[in-house]
Amino acid sequence: MVGYYLQLLLDGVIAGSIYAMFAVGLTMVYGVFGFINFAHGELIAWGAYLTLLFFHPPFSLPIGIAVIPALALTAVIGLGQDKYIFNPLRRSSRITLLITSIGLSYLLRNGIRLVWGSDLLSFGLEPARGMCVGGLSITLVQSLMIFSAVIFFGLLYFLLKRTLLGKSLRAVSDNMELAGIMGINMKRVRFTVWALASVFAGVGGILIALDTNLEPTMGLTNLIKAFAAVLLGGAGNVWGALLGGLFIGMAENLSMIFIAPEYKEFISFLAIVLVLLFRPKGIFAITGGVR
Amino acid sequence: MGYIFHIIITTLIYIIFAVSLDLELGFAGLYNFGQVAFFGIGAYTSALMSLAGIPIGITMACGMLTAGLAGFLLSFPALRLTGDYFGVATLVFAEMVRVFFVNEEWLTRGPMGLPGIPRPIWIGEGIGSLPRFAVFAGIIALATLFFVRRLISSPFSRALKVIREDEYVAQAFGKNVFSLKLRTITIGSALAGLAGSLWAHYVTFISPSDFTLNETILVLLCVVLGGKGTSWGPVLGALIVMLTSESVRFLPIPAEMGRIVAPLQGMAYGCVLMIIMMKRPQGIIPEHRIRRENAQA
Repeated sequence: MVGYYLQLLLDGVIAGSIYAMFAVGLTMVYGVFGFINFAHGELIAWGAYLTLLFFHPPFSLPIGIAVIPALALTAVIGLGQDKYIFNPLRRSSRITLLITSIGLSYLLRNGIRLVWGSDLLSFGLEPARGMCVGGLSITLVQSLMIFSAVIFFGLLYFLLKRTLLGKSLRAVSDNMELAGIMGINMKRVRFTVWALASVFAGVGGILIALDTNLEPTMGLTNLIKAFAAVLLGGAGNVWGALLGGLFIGMAENLSMIFIAPEYKEFISFLAIVLVLLFRPKGIFAITGGVR
Repeated sequence: MGYIFHIIITTLIYIIFAVSLDLELGFAGLYNFGQVAFFGIGAYTSALMSLAGIPIGITMACGMLTAGLAGFLLSFPALRLTGDYFGVATLVFAEMVRVFFVNEEWLTRGPMGLPGIPRPIWIGEGIGSLPRFAVFAGIIALATLFFVRRLISSPFSRALKVIREDEYVAQAFGKNVFSLKLRTITIGSALAGLAGSLWAHYVTFISPSDFTLNETILVLLCVVLGGKGTSWGPVLGALIVMLTSESVRFLPIPAEMGRIVAPLQGMAYGCVLMIIMMKRPQGIIPEHRIRRENAQA
């Protein structure tokens, strides 16, 4: 019985590390530009679908190589969003940006349906066999999920804390106008934030697609979880998003002890509602801003 | 002939739906992205009751009441939030309602949906009944528009607009901001419930997949395109959106192309929504404002 709980906990960490990858981009965009990017979920889905594109004929690249052009194109989508849609609107109200991003997400989601259809797809790799470590089972893809979360968050830590670019990024999220006056190059900061958001989302999307399958609504489903993680961590806080993601992942899996699995989705809904109502600054956040 | 009446009826239903959202979004500045939840609550309430054999006049009134009550109850937690957070909370509420419809199979039959929802007896079934249903929907839509026009030409709507522009000013004038917003959401939800119940009796089959974010985006597009905060904006928006979307179904499109029509349509809606927000956030019919320099999105 203890093994069962430990397995649920492990599954929670696996799911949580991916939710954290999704949440980072959402929270950074919120922290720096001050709006909720509803289209963030579509970067997740496009990352996964583009990998499928390069994996299948006519390209037929091996999966490890197919992710490179896929992630590059995902970043192009992310940067294009900024350049043609969000940057021109930077003086508009937050609600205008939110509605615009809802429109954009609808456009991108239907783009996927247009190209790949609405049905479930999968990479069709041979079914992953679980490795057994101390009575717990974990597949190769799942261990890759934890591994890449560790690597990517490590790199992000290095970027934010040890480089000048990271420092300017944190400064901009604190006070954009003041940072501009101090001569921080806003273009570079914008580029960095959107590139990071796209790559994190894309990598997470690819891994989830490898672990389960692809469907056009995968972006939307995961967006809600990422949003719950962002709110738990305090909007704009990168490390809060990491903790929030892990928390959502574990809470979802452990909840299966008490409630029917069909209501797993409710955990993130509930987290969003409760945090908004009682702790709008987040639970794990000590202070605001990208840190 | 049948499809002309089909287009008329769906447009009329969406006019009611869009007007209900405009009351909250346009007049009170409450960005409700979960209006489809009340549409769904109204539809399910009326459908379930009429399947139990209760006359449709009563069930539609109950659908309205239940949706209004749900809006009333949701207001207490949701109105503690403002702006985009209110929007996200209502969006999440709508998803919760949908998951409830999917999972509570004892009540809603889950994803299989509810077939065989009766229509009013004097309307009857089949193609021949459509003109009569169009008249029925038209009467309800006219009554709704009449009611909403009365409402927005009253001090009530002017107070709402003050709240939308600046809550503190409204408070300083001695307006009870919470109570005004609460009443707006309750009325808006009840009207959405009315549209939903009308729709359930028209299509005679509902399932949880009819009440998703897609419908929210569609009705949001109606309001934003037509012009929010005006009495004719949502009507015009609903006319444009529904006429274009429903008439596409009857175009002679070859079967192999059929698969791409819906996604293309969705992409067009997303695009139009974005372009309006970027180029003309006030919509086709702009709201009349006395002081132009305060105009903002």
